[in-house]
Amino acid sequence: MSFKEVFFNELKLIFSDVAIVITIFAGVILYSFLYPQPYTSQSVSELPLSVVDMDRSDTSRDIIFKLDATPQISVKRVDLSEIDAKEALLASKVKAILIIPKNFKKDLASSKSPTIAFGGDASYFLIYGGVLEGTMKSILTTSATIQVANLLKKQVPLSKAKLAYTPYALNIINIFNPQNSYIQYVIPAVFVLILQQTLLIGLGILGGGINEKMSKGEKGYFIEASTWMMMLSRVIIFGSIFFIHILFYFGFSFEMFGVSHVASISELLSFSFVFLLAVISFGLFIGALFSSREMATPLVLFSSLPLVFTASFVWPIEALPQTLVYISMLFPSTPAIEGFLRLNQMGASFDMIINLYAILWIQTIIYFSLAYFLINHKKHLLKN
Amino acid sequence: MSIFKKAFIGEIKNIKDSYYKLSLITVLPLFSFFIIISIFYEGVIRELPIVLVDNDKSSLSRKLISHIQSSPTIAIKKMTPSLRDAMVLVKKSEAYGVVIIPKHFYKDTLLQKQPKITALINTQYILIGKMLTSALISSLAQNSQELSLPINIQVTPFFNTYQNYFLFLVSALLPSIWQVFIVIATLVSFGSMFKEKEEKEFFKDGFFEISIIAKLLPYTISYLLVGIGYLLFIYQVLGWEFQGSFTITIFGMFLTVVAYQATALLLFVMVFDYARSLSLAALYTAPAFAFLGVTFPVLSMNTFALLWRDLLPISYYIELQISQANYGLSFFDESSKLLYLFSFWIAFIPVFFMFRKRMQDEL
Repeated sequence: MSFKEVFFNELKLIFSDVAIVITIFAGVILYSFLYPQPYTSQSVSELPLSVVDMDRSDTSRDIIFKLDATPQISVKRVDLSEIDAKEALLASKVKAILIIPKNFKKDLASSKSPTIAFGGDASYFLIYGGVLEGTMKSILTTSATIQVANLLKKQVPLSKAKLAYTPYALNIINIFNPQNSYIQYVIPAVFVLILQQTLLIGLGILGGGINEKMSKGEKGYFIEASTWMMMLSRVIIFGSIFFIHILFYFGFSFEMFGVSHVASISELLSFSFVFLLAVISFGLFIGALFSSREMATPLVLFSSLPLVFTASFVWPIEALPQTLVYISMLFPSTPAIEGFLRLNQMGASFDMIINLYAILWIQTIIYFSLAYFLINHKKHLLKN
Repeated sequence: MSIFKKAFIGEIKNIKDSYYKLSLITVLPLFSFFIIISIFYEGVIRELPIVLVDNDKSSLSRKLISHIQSSPTIAIKKMTPSLRDAMVLVKKSEAYGVVIIPKHFYKDTLLQKQPKITALINTQYILIGKMLTSALISSLAQNSQELSLPINIQVTPFFNTYQNYFLFLVSALLPSIWQVFIVIATLVSFGSMFKEKEEKEFFKDGFFEISIIAKLLPYTISYLLVGIGYLLFIYQVLGWEFQGSFTITIFGMFLTVVAYQATALLLFVMVFDYARSLSLAALYTAPAFAFLGVTFPVLSMNTFALLWRDLLPISYYIELQISQANYGLSFFDESSKLLYLFSFWIAFIPVFFMFRKRMQDEL
């Protein structure tokens, strides 16, 4: 059987399989639209807060006004008592409470350092962080302004007064994702995983399906065709489809959702090339292991969340158990996510990700050879 | 034997005869839970590596460095002579930030010129960036002793008082994996029956609704047990605080399991094919975690995301679990969530209808 015949047989088998087509076309496109949806507002903003103003002075109103002006917070209600505010918190109407005590203005004027109490719902961690950060910043600024004003009253010159509250300043600059945007955080990483998982499901259904046919004694091109011709056909077919998907994801989708991309096209494509090779080889390998068409989808699906959280973009690699770090390196997505993030989001040069590039090549070689031996072995068993 | 009993016992036999079906309700979910739990077992993040560029090299800058070093969250991985060297380490993800102490830092402090310490934080990794930022701020605030502001702020985190990521992430991740298993097992059970062409034999007595419910029941029980298992593991074995009632939560779990079985069958009757229904299930269940509103607030989601979220029973179950664990609301206060979960059962109506139609054509 010539390579051309094998290639067209494979092509026919793939495109006539609705389950594969749903996954590698409809799935890939739908996911690219669906996954970013929760994050389109980019960053956490305008979280509702209740202020219990027991002072009712111009100073406390000034604090409330400035708080409401902070981008993270919107002062949803001003409650008269702590009980009302807590009820609103329990009903999830607000996410945090701020209590300005009685005699706040008076105590401030007499330098008694009054205490503002802040309480937030910490069950939603990042929400809590957002409200706390906004509140702290706003109050610290107000506080510093008051401090300067107090010193000015005592005839301290303005330049000195400004310095008195802190001897040196900390200037924090966010790099790579300066707005703390969620879409920028999640999408570049999760897209890599989606590409891997859909590719694996497609190859898994195909490989498992052929194994199933062979074990039932069905005849077909897959018995006579040489193993390397079949494997090469799949590399070419799935490789070209997913090459287009990669252009669509990293080009069109990134633009559409406003995700930044700084890597040069040539570097991005060379990394994508070996990423695709590694995933396809892994897919050929697991496809050869599966005994039915239906095994791929569930197993790939179960692996998704563990793979996201061992990929070290959410949870730092320093905090992961060492064994899990090693196991996660068996999957192409782990080095690939890291590599794409560094290259395309953080502007690393290619030599800074050379180790990840090497891991993907090693995976390619190992999984490709394993797949070759497995498929050959199965055909051999069948012939005898 | 009654039709119900026949279908129920028949399914248990199916499970016993297939390692795959058996592992779907035992080993596989437990193994996935084990992996997630071990990822976050530490819960608190310590020693995030940063690079330090000390352009002053004075006694004061050394004091500052040792202050930063004493923070449990931060570890100074390396001191580099220039920012350029430091950035290489950041781009290699060997460090998550750079702290730069300016030249004449000591002198300028003495002269009250308020020198600026610059910290570059890699916020591509938002969670890590946030932890590093707050650790740096509190570490430097402690150091600047003259910091005496006129207003004090007292901060109290309600509910998750431990400020621990374990509870926060694991208690939402395990149910997200659990829902995938419920949907998959339902499709494996019905899909394999249609693939092996056993459906005529199964439905031959004509009581479709009873047979379908009886076939689902072994999985309903198994996944309810798996759910109770993780719930008790987190809140009893590991001992995290649980304010509310386990009865309400477990009742919600029961509603959730059946809700997912109904929606899984709805996916199935759309195609009546094993492999295709699995592809649909992948689209439906895989992105669920992002829509839960645990990591990213529901309040900031767009209309489409909220709509999709409403189609996932797990969103309501998670709200129930969190509010039971943290606020301990009464059954009455939770009734809207429970009712919402129950409303997914309506999916059985089109499911029964489609099965009836399909089987009447076949028989």
